[in-house]
Amino acid sequence: MSAKNSMTIAQKTDKLNEMIAWFNSDDFELEQALDKFTEAEKLAEEIEKDLQALKNHIEVVKEKFDRSI
Amino acid sequence: MENVRLTVSQFIDTLNQTLEYAYPVVEVEGEVASFKVNQGKYVFFDLKDEGGSVGCFMMAWQLRLPIEDGMKIIVTATPKLTPWGKFSLTVRALRPSGEGSLKKSFEILKAKLEKEGLFAVERKRPLPELPAHIAVISSTQAAGYADFVKILNDRWGGLRVEVAHVQVQGADAPDQMIRALHYFNSREILPEVIVMIRGGGSADDLSGFNDELLVREIASSRVPTLVGVGHEVDVSLADMAADVRAATPSNAAQLLLPDRSELIRRVRHSIAGLLPRIEQAAERQQTDIRRQIEQAATVISERHQQNVEKVGALRRLLAEYDPKRVLGRGYALVRGTIEPGGIIEVEKSDIVITAEVKNVGQK
Repeated sequence: MSAKNSMTIAQKTDKLNEMIAWFNSDDFELEQALDKFTEAEKLAEEIEKDLQALKNHIEVVKEKFDRSI
Repeated sequence: MENVRLTVSQFIDTLNQTLEYAYPVVEVEGEVASFKVNQGKYVFFDLKDEGGSVGCFMMAWQLRLPIEDGMKIIVTATPKLTPWGKFSLTVRALRPSGEGSLKKSFEILKAKLEKEGLFAVERKRPLPELPAHIAVISSTQAAGYADFVKILNDRWGGLRVEVAHVQVQGADAPDQMIRALHYFNSREILPEVIVMIRGGGSADDLSGFNDELLVREIASSRVPTLVGVGHEVDVSLADMAADVRAATPSNAAQLLLPDRSELIRRVRHSIAGLLPRIEQAAERQQTDIRRQIEQAATVISERHQQNVEKVGALRRLLAEYDPKRVLGRGYALVRGTIEPGGIIEVEKSDIVITAEVKNVGQK
């Protein structure tokens, strides 16, 4: 599993936001832009896949509440 | 029984046994009169209608809803003959009857708890931004619960959801919800938020959420609370005591979690916004290069023009020094020995004259 794959959605989203911020920063360089764009696009796809795959774990507790504990 | 002779105490005991057998628990509806609380512990009032009146007794701690004279209520009670021969109802629970009484009870308790600061804005805590562990108190059979779960699953995933199945309607509902609140608040690993939900219903159906003890329990919860009861128009005291009020169970899920579809849309939008940025930068760079080329061309052209002009001026100056032009204006070049008897050559623009010098004198 690559480092990127082991990241949480929140971490991936933060990373994507950082990458997007680079495009609007003074560090922006056209020569690097295309590579960075490809990387951001890939990360966005991963986030989308991760979000769609998330399932909730719903559990009804065994405790009975119809009598005093 | 005709020939049985009993003492007064035996008679009272026998009567109470008969009553207990025939009416272990009764529900009686009537209007409250002569309501009073003695020593802060004992509650006495009469329950009456047009045809009669019966005395009621209960412990003050059992009084979960405020009542006052004139209110119509339903009591759950056991009939009893006291040792002093007075018939009364020992009340276990009571609830307001009819919309007017429900409203009155609601307003009295609301004013009381408001005065204590239970609904104060300063007490409200924010919900966790993106909870991973949530507790839900509801009836798993209720439509409101199904709505909540559906919206929850649509909006987000990866959550640990613990559900306490309780009654959300009826006399036992407040106590069950209180126990569930205790349960979640005393867990070793606390949930990040406790959500209490129930779908719509009549004012009577929802009255459990106006129970004083339940409202106090919500207000004192260690874990932040989110309460969504009934429809948008239904406001309960439980709502008011919660850290956050949701208009409906579905709204509770919306307030609790972000919408993953919205997040996906935002991510796509962010990425789509990068290409114009790159194109813009490329265009700007192209424009810069074009402008630099144009500037260079202008400089070259200007320098060339300057040089052309310089050469022209030099050529004009040079032409001024051309002897032929001087001769053309009528002047002549004289060469030879400038002394009397010397031979000189006089060159004009079109002829050359050879002559002898006769005299040389100062001007």
